Amino acid sequence: MADHDPSLWKRRDVLGGAALFALAVGLPVAAIRLTDLSPDDRPTPRLRRMLREVSQLVIPRSDTPGAGDAGVGDFLIFALAHGMEGTGEPFSHPGTDLPLRANGSLRHTHWLETELDRRGNGDWLALSPTRRAEMLAALDHQAFPDGPPPAVLSPWRAIKGLILTGYYTSQIGGAQELRYALIPGRYDADLPFSSHDRAWSSDWTAVDFG
Amino acid sequence: MTHQFDAIVVGSGITGGWAAKELTEAGFKVLMIERGRAIEHGDYSRETKAPWDMPFRGEGDPDLYAGDYPVQRLNRHFTEFTQDHFVNDRENPYATEAETAFTWFRSYQLGGRSLTWGRQAYRWSDYDFGANKRDGHGTDWPIRYADLAPWYDHVESFIGVSGAREGLAQLPDGQFQPPMALNAVEVALRDKIRAKWPERVLTIGRTANLTQGKPDEGRNPCQYRSICARGCSFGAYFSTQSSTLPAAMKTGRLTVLTDKVVEKVDYDPVTKRVTGVRWLDTKDRSRGSATARMVFLNAGAFNSVHLLLNSASEAMPHGLANGSGVLGTHIMDHANTMGALAVMPGFELHTSFGNRPTGIIIPRFRNMERLDGVGHTRGFSFQGGALQSGWSRGKREAGTGAQFKEALRQVGPWRMVLVSFAECLPRPGNRLTLDRTRTDANGLPLLNIAFAFGKEEHAAVAEAHACATEMLTHAGGQVLFGSDTPGPGGTAIHEMGGARMGFDPATSVLNGHSQAHGIANLFVTDGAQMSSSACQNPSLTYMALTARAAAYAKEQAQAGAI
Repeated sequence: MADHDPSLWKRRDVLGGAALFALAVGLPVAAIRLTDLSPDDRPTPRLRRMLREVSQLVIPRSDTPGAGDAGVGDFLIFALAHGMEGTGEPFSHPGTDLPLRANGSLRHTHWLETELDRRGNGDWLALSPTRRAEMLAALDHQAFPDGPPPAVLSPWRAIKGLILTGYYTSQIGGAQELRYALIPGRYDADLPFSSHDRAWSSDWTAVDFG
Repeated sequence: MTHQFDAIVVGSGITGGWAAKELTEAGFKVLMIERGRAIEHGDYSRETKAPWDMPFRGEGDPDLYAGDYPVQRLNRHFTEFTQDHFVNDRENPYATEAETAFTWFRSYQLGGRSLTWGRQAYRWSDYDFGANKRDGHGTDWPIRYADLAPWYDHVESFIGVSGAREGLAQLPDGQFQPPMALNAVEVALRDKIRAKWPERVLTIGRTANLTQGKPDEGRNPCQYRSICARGCSFGAYFSTQSSTLPAAMKTGRLTVLTDKVVEKVDYDPVTKRVTGVRWLDTKDRSRGSATARMVFLNAGAFNSVHLLLNSASEAMPHGLANGSGVLGTHIMDHANTMGALAVMPGFELHTSFGNRPTGIIIPRFRNMERLDGVGHTRGFSFQGGALQSGWSRGKREAGTGAQFKEALRQVGPWRMVLVSFAECLPRPGNRLTLDRTRTDANGLPLLNIAFAFGKEEHAAVAEAHACATEMLTHAGGQVLFGSDTPGPGGTAIHEMGGARMGFDPATSVLNGHSQAHGIANLFVTDGAQMSSSACQNPSLTYMALTARAAAYAKEQAQAGAI
């Protein structure tokens, strides 16, 4: 992507804002060391921006930071490079030309970049924030249709799963957006539920069983 | 003959720790040998880590797991926080017959699987000890509940078991600490089930987690973290480290060796006694040995059998204590699967706080006074519990943006899980043998597992699925999923048998005192000794049998018989 791209200033604003926000909450923008990845898995700057933006659209900033703010874009790159959420398994998706690794698994990052750009007339990142959000929501809705899961699962499902993992297992998602208690110290079996109560990211059984 | 020790205990897990405690407290000088590394109580390196402290956020490295932990990673307690408490499968291979699928979950370290166990502690009843005699499968147990009841008392009082008294013949009450509480969904389910099926009782799991501290033993009450398998520096659950090992060390009569795998138990055909053991140091590859007046095998059911098979000699060419030829046969594991999982509407105004480290149990209700099982003659039971969904439910749902984030901020719907545990019949064809063509890193023949569930287990699991579905549906649940087919053998992590007890030396390995027929100073007191499997967790029974055998060994020693 060339520097004269008219959307660049907007992206710089976004990234600058993220850095300031991260500074305010005391966390580095990227805790993941992408330089540790194999050359094939190292993202282009554009892909890195895109995954940060996608993460932030799934879990946006509210009174707590969003997923992009929490470094989930880079976590996605790391997690997908290592095959988390089953993404390292051989991928079969009939009738399509997909970017596969030598072991037959899908390069989910490349798939997502291609898919979003296809939907975004060649440059999803150049779209307005509203259009980006609408297109991602459409992709999400197609991947999670009403009724039973489709026979062929969209790669988006695993990517979204990792965005949630990346966010809610980060300090921001796990202990600021949700509550985290390493040592509850007691068990209260039956408490009145209040809609103001935030869930506990440290309820390990709930996380296991969803 | 002068022995270096009065007793050698092979293994340091749930029963090894008990053997060491009871034998040292009886006045014996004991050597305990562990094949894995030493782990000091409190030195649990990942116990207090948060997900964001972990490279893979607690979920672990898929490449590492695929290469080094392809079996262990299937254990529900296996995570990035606990992975160091499980064996490396690549370094610790085992063989299986062509048609066998068996997941053998293991922990080679001081404390063994006592660090990672599920902590469910149930007594067996005479339905269980009388099962083989009743339907003719396997061989009759030489003991009954009355033989073991005082030893259950002894063990429960020491390890600390919290539970509720229910007065059930099939799941006898014990010496319980106060129970943990049922949550709102479980209370309602208990009431609705009991109103329709009075013989079906939902009760809180009886768990070896303290609800009252034992300060004299340095043990604190449960902190409701439910991360037990990381190790608990509070000492709130029973493990070798928290409980039996300090008691044994306190006597001043225990010697512990780690990183030493026992290769052979030595046998003297003249005296018809075992004389000691030989080991390989897994770190420096040196070999060593020790002699003792008696030997207790507590290596874990399959590894104790493995050691007996490896201890063949000219006098016992088919394996030590295998005059009967049944050594290695009649292995079992509970037929285990997700009976039913349901969403439980109507409890939206209820929530809970803290992570209770136990679920519930619905004990056996089939084939008791009358044989009413459909296609099977034994029991099945359920364990599980109700929980409120967390953020991970978002992985299954459509949604992005502010509303999605807001929805995941709150707890989700209540769900109820019932996991089926069906009794496994003892079958001669389910057996352990030595692989004569392949050896492990220590040069020992691989253990070969042949195992399959039969039509009885399949029938029991199918009936359990139907019962779980009808109970949850009756209580207003919407069943999302359930299975009528058992998972692979080993799934329940209750593998047992292979050196079964029995009356007859011609058809069993051990007598009713866990003592080898014909070898008075050899005891096998782990899961290998089991003649049937019941349908509830076996570890408490292993502990009680170990304590009972140690007391018997003391009597025999005092009488000059050992």
